[in-house]
Amino acid sequence: MKTTTYPLSRETSMHELGDRVIAPDGYWRLGWRRRGQAYSVLLEQRAVMVGGGLMLALLAAGLAYLSLGSTLLAPSEAVLALFGRGEMMATFMVQELRLPRLTAACLTGAAFALAGILMQTLARNRLATPGIIGIDNGATAFAVASIVGMGVSIAPPAMALAGATTAAVLTFGLAAGSGTHGYRFIVAGIGVGAVFGAITQLLLARVAIDAANAAYPWTVGTLNARASGAMQLLTVGLTLGVIAALALARSLALLRFKDATASGLGIVVKVRRFQVLMLSVVLTALAVAVAGPVGMVGLIGPEIARALSSSRGVPVISSALAGALVMVLADLAGRTLLAPIEIPVGIVTAVLGGPWLLWILMRANRSSP
Amino acid sequence: MSFAARMDARAAFLVLLMALVAMAGTSLLIGAGEVSPSRAFAVLWGSADSEAHFVVWELRGPRTLIGIAVGVALGISGALLQAVARNPLAEPGLLGVSAGAAFAVALALVLGASAATLRIGVAQLGALVGCICVLGVVRMRGVGDDPVRLVLAGAAFSGLLGSLSALLLLYDQRAADEIRFWVVGGLAGRRLSDLVAVLPSLLVAGGVIALIARPLAALALGERVATGLGHHPAVIRWLVVLCVAVLVGAATAMAGPIAFVGLVVPFVARAIAGPDIRRTLWFCLPIGPLMILAADIVSRVVVAPSELPLGVLTALCGAPVLIAVVRAKRLPML
Repeated sequence: MKTTTYPLSRETSMHELGDRVIAPDGYWRLGWRRRGQAYSVLLEQRAVMVGGGLMLALLAAGLAYLSLGSTLLAPSEAVLALFGRGEMMATFMVQELRLPRLTAACLTGAAFALAGILMQTLARNRLATPGIIGIDNGATAFAVASIVGMGVSIAPPAMALAGATTAAVLTFGLAAGSGTHGYRFIVAGIGVGAVFGAITQLLLARVAIDAANAAYPWTVGTLNARASGAMQLLTVGLTLGVIAALALARSLALLRFKDATASGLGIVVKVRRFQVLMLSVVLTALAVAVAGPVGMVGLIGPEIARALSSSRGVPVISSALAGALVMVLADLAGRTLLAPIEIPVGIVTAVLGGPWLLWILMRANRSSP
Repeated sequence: MSFAARMDARAAFLVLLMALVAMAGTSLLIGAGEVSPSRAFAVLWGSADSEAHFVVWELRGPRTLIGIAVGVALGISGALLQAVARNPLAEPGLLGVSAGAAFAVALALVLGASAATLRIGVAQLGALVGCICVLGVVRMRGVGDDPVRLVLAGAAFSGLLGSLSALLLLYDQRAADEIRFWVVGGLAGRRLSDLVAVLPSLLVAGGVIALIARPLAALALGERVATGLGHHPAVIRWLVVLCVAVLVGAATAMAGPIAFVGLVVPFVARAIAGPDIRRTLWFCLPIGPLMILAADIVSRVVVAPSELPLGVLTALCGAPVLIAVVRAKRLPML
């Protein structure tokens, strides 16, 4: 290691003195050596704690999810059944019925919320989530087209991706005159979403009433009719998406500034923006292919994460965890509250998210420009 | 206004009226089913074809009349709401007023009410509550803020109400079929009695609008000017809100929630008639029914023998207008 002389300032020397450095306040430092080279990572304590807390809450919610339902299981029974040691019936119920659905809830919730925070950062507006600016509706319209068999034999996930991309291109293209931020952008998105919503209705009106009835809960968002292929794609896509989002995290933090500032701080704004947009669109499409448009999770998850985290970075991981938590709890409520009737999870989140959205709108008026 | 311009406006109004008559005729002639336009045409000239007679006068006739009434009500209420919110994007369907009416009807159905007159009252009450909520958000908005924000609030509000209606639909299978109609909207299967039941409230609202059109035009010049001219802005606003609630409630009771009509119709009317609210209201009278009837005819023809929900077509026409208004460099202030 080369030796350097450092200025006398205490702070710089602490940051850069190789192995023996102390982390700045509020951070933990993880350091390791490899081939004589020292590496270190700074972990923000609050982010770690928020992430851990959300993880614990998610585990607790998952346990409740496995135990509650038409047949009640004690938590201990549920855990035993989960590892294949319980009674036959309980094991079947947990492993075959509830666990796959729980997994789907976690994955879709995380994907929606991750897509949400990416889009919010991109548009510099906390209300610009894929659900609100019409991308969900685009994905849904195309996926429904493939489901009701309008002479298209491509799988729903691929169609959903095509739809989400179309909607994103339309929204961004049409709003170009007024920039990617501000309320005009969002309202242009609402317009695009309305068109795709109408197209979905149009498709449903053309098929037999049974098929339309069967597709109805799916169009409001439910975990009842998950396609298995879509689940596998979502698993892969979400894993890659989280990695990509982490890799983009620093750029994301900079994208919140004005374009000039961000490029002055060393990122190529256009490229980064395109990457973030595509990542958000892909995550939305995969999640929609599994669960339909449960757009409000993309709003609520990041809100929770931001409220818990400090404002220094963009809380990517916490958002995904919070989204998964919201989705699990919402689906649990939908399954149990009015049992034996099952409320689609999209309706639960919309009923929760609507007032929340109004509250944000009314509060935002006083403080922010 | 110059004489020539006035003549132009009159000519445009006459052309629109004639187009409306033609559209109503088309609505009687064209539609799903076995009755071809030529057979329907023969019925209009007094042919004794009993099946065609039934289709034209019992099915398509009431439907056309109701379409006209719905178009008038929605177009006028859109223009009024835009004037009182001073926002070109204020639209009953988009802002959740229609969704409020539909939700109220769905709730009443679940609670066991089924009488038609009660349904109208409930729908109007729901529209009133929706109207007050939306305008409450407008008030919160403060002065000189982004007018586009209102649409977002409306989208949140109508999304919430739509979800609650969907919840009711799941909750009560018995009423589900009837509720589904209120959630989606359309003119299929409406009877003349539905129109007769709402007619009194429509007439009352029309009378009130005729009385407040002048003060409303004064209000467009600003609150102080209106007060100076001897009007009471607060009273005018409340009357407008009540009228909008009555009109939207009646339209929703007849046809379910239909978005974007209240946006597009005043938009077109202003393009022809200029900014004066009185002239805009006059032009909304033929343009609203024109839009509804055209959408209804297309909805019958496109996927025959089944039918499209009317709201689908109005959304397909209206959303591009919304985007166009939003994209305009400077939003037209009202």
